[in-house]
Amino acid sequence: MKVLVVEDSKEIASSIHDFLVREGYICELAYSFDEAQEKLLLYSYDCVLLDIMLPDGNGLELLKFMKEQGIQSGVLIISAKDAMDDKIRGLEGGGDDYITKPFHLPELHARLRAIYRRKKLSGSNIITFNEITLNTDTLEATINDMLLDITRKEFDLLLYLVVNKNRVLSRQSIATHLWGDYTDNLANFDFVYQHIKNLRKKISAANGADYIDTVYGLGYKFNASKV
Amino acid sequence: MKLVDKFTLWFLGVIVITTPITSYICLNNIEKKIDDVEIARLKIVNTKAAARMADGTTVNIPRDASFTTFTLLPTLPADSFRIRKDADPDGNNKSLESRLTVSTFMAINGKPYEVTTSSYIPASRQILNAIMDTVAWKLLLIILCVAVSARFLSQRILYTLRLTMKKIHNFDLKKKITFPQTNTEEFKELNTFLKKMTDQAVDEYTAVKQFSENASHELQTPLAVIRGKLELLSETNIDEDQATLLADMHHAIEKLSKINRSLILLSKMENNEFAVTEHIKFCRVAKDVLAAYEDRLEMKNIAVKKELDKNIQLRIHPVLADMLMNNLLGNAIRHNVQDGSIHIILKQEKLVIKNTGLPPETPPEELFERFRKSNQCSESVGLGLAIVKQICEVCDFKVSYKYKAPLHILQVDFCPGSVINETEQDKFETAAVVTA
Repeated sequence: MKVLVVEDSKEIASSIHDFLVREGYICELAYSFDEAQEKLLLYSYDCVLLDIMLPDGNGLELLKFMKEQGIQSGVLIISAKDAMDDKIRGLEGGGDDYITKPFHLPELHARLRAIYRRKKLSGSNIITFNEITLNTDTLEATINDMLLDITRKEFDLLLYLVVNKNRVLSRQSIATHLWGDYTDNLANFDFVYQHIKNLRKKISAANGADYIDTVYGLGYKFNASKV
Repeated sequence: MKLVDKFTLWFLGVIVITTPITSYICLNNIEKKIDDVEIARLKIVNTKAAARMADGTTVNIPRDASFTTFTLLPTLPADSFRIRKDADPDGNNKSLESRLTVSTFMAINGKPYEVTTSSYIPASRQILNAIMDTVAWKLLLIILCVAVSARFLSQRILYTLRLTMKKIHNFDLKKKITFPQTNTEEFKELNTFLKKMTDQAVDEYTAVKQFSENASHELQTPLAVIRGKLELLSETNIDEDQATLLADMHHAIEKLSKINRSLILLSKMENNEFAVTEHIKFCRVAKDVLAAYEDRLEMKNIAVKKELDKNIQLRIHPVLADMLMNNLLGNAIRHNVQDGSIHIILKQEKLVIKNTGLPPETPPEELFERFRKSNQCSESVGLGLAIVKQICEVCDFKVSYKYKAPLHILQVDFCPGSVINETEQDKFETAAVVTA
């Protein structure tokens, strides 16, 4: 996957770059509106990560520009503004999804993958890893072709783990992914732990390998090298 | 107390103090004038009587109530007159008149005589009565006139003040206001002052608003940087100690970003950025939030009893509605005990959430303050209820908390409403009358 990151903060851009490169993506950076415009005209990207607030222009303008030029990349909007208006305007302007700073990198990645699946893999909704198959349309998970009886949240969690395989996922990042806005008030770690525990139990009941590792006090990791 | 009443009372006070003094002066003056006139008359009578005596016509001439006597003296005294006034000629303290006696010392046909004539004049008590009568009427008239005319006058004079008050009452931080023209010096000064003040408030509000917007961007970018770097760092080869350190840092960043978001939200609400334009179906919001918390309710094995009325329309911004429900339900779960219960009642006029939990450690009235939290949940940021309170203020709701062992009861009245609004209306109307 080829990704263009339009972000004026060099530190954030480099974090995203490092994270995505490790995933094997080709990742290019643009720090300004002009730079982004130029790159978009010269090359084609599967996905664009777009910061709304740019030093020399508004990200929404860039969306308009992409529409005019017929550029078909998927767009994930990044913004520090979590105002409703911006969200709506961004999505109406042609963005595919929206994420607010400060975001978790695995979350960004998961959303990017989702956009990529929808846009570029022409709506492919099947994700397979070894014996695990996930259908993002029907929200069904199978292990060795055996349907797994899991809840919506457990499906989301498994998908998040599989997409971010071999990555350390902090409990905060998992909580944010699962509950979004509804995490502000709760100490969610027990709940994350519960979900992980249930998921492990169900996978092992279906004779799946125990891919989920606990990383000390930090979080969890989907260890792809386990068989 | 109304302004006009204060002025009226002051004015009446002045009258009450001055009236006795002026009455006393008046009494004295009248008495003196009467005495002077009577004395002058009696002197003339004396002189005339003496002249007749000298002629040898008549000795005693009764004339009106007065009469003249002649007394032969051994020698003429140095004074030519002597005046006596007897306030109580009847000797029973009830005399209606005083007796005025004027003696003239003169030589008639070479012999020293004392020519004495007496006369009766109204007693000072009589004059006093008359004055008191007048004063009573005067006071009555003054009070009536002042009471009626003051109201009328103040309505005219304070008209501009009332307009100004109305303007201030409707003052919105978002735009500057202009005040009505007036030719009263004090009001001119007041309006200039108010104009300066409100303009400054509008300017500062704009500055604060900009700050809150900038703060959100400026703080969240470094937060995003730190979080991103931490996540990258977690994936390098680290040992257990380092992982624990990283976990603590993750935790702190999470909390920091939540506090930041909450504070920005609070300031946005204070700046009235969530203006309510339309009604939304609150019951739907409640259902959605409940669904979002479903798994966590299950895990804590909390029994939920729902009494949600349908089609509940409320004037509230959708973001705030979600936030309100989110905070209340989140609190009810977090402060709950394992295998506890939550009872949610949603009606057109109120939302009540009752939940089991440990007894509160902080006094209920402090619960809604920022960064106030019970020790049981030091994980929390301590802004949840402050946000709830702010949302309720923005939407004119009323939130209250009660603890009735073992239940914590949080109630939001959606229209506290018909009663309070009326009193507010009254307040404003009385304010208008005060100025009138």
